[in-house]
Amino acid sequence: MYSQSPSSNGSFMQEQDLLKSILADLRRTSREYTTATTEASCPMTRRMFTDLTNDTLRLQGELFNLMQQNNMYSVSSKALRQDVDKQIQSAQQAQQKCQQFIQEKNTQNSSYSQAPNVPHHQPNYGNPYYM
Amino acid sequence: MQNHTMQALSPKELNYIADSITNEELLIKQCAATASITHNPQIQQALNHYVRSHEQHLNTLVNALQQHQSLAPAQVSN
Repeated sequence: MYSQSPSSNGSFMQEQDLLKSILADLRRTSREYTTATTEASCPMTRRMFTDLTNDTLRLQGELFNLMQQNNMYSVSSKALRQDVDKQIQSAQQAQQKCQQFIQEKNTQNSSYSQAPNVPHHQPNYGNPYYM
Repeated sequence: MQNHTMQALSPKELNYIADSITNEELLIKQCAATASITHNPQIQQALNHYVRSHEQHLNTLVNALQQHQSLAPAQVSN
């Protein structure tokens, strides 16, 4: 971008480019915090990374909205109706297949175990008074 | 383990904290630099708020390192 408006003369980068760069870094940082959360073994560290993930996502969303309000972020084109319809169709098929699969596994499971002829035993470790 | 919520850091966790400190430092500098050149008061206010938020993140990360300092072993153990 060499043909900038005169107002950008003398500045290192245009404001809009700097804001886009910050937005991109917030996106990358929130991704890295998410990865760090899933790989943390110390509960305290996991808690910290979870909080940092949430806070960074919030800041990223705020900046995105602010840039959109100031016409600094062009909204990308819209997905076509026919493409959305196609995805809905295949998603519904996937849902059906999942339900079939679960049913198959449940029937297989119950064919190995007989129905109990005694009432279900309540485990005493699950006593709510001790939880 | 006496304290159930705090364990010694793994090398991976240490690296993630170090990388995060670099990220936060970069974000603080970018937000402060952009706030200094903008003529839009709304954006300037938001950026100054982001500087403070990222400073808080940086503090949190440095505190986490300090809190785990005494739990770190001096030698590699199995």
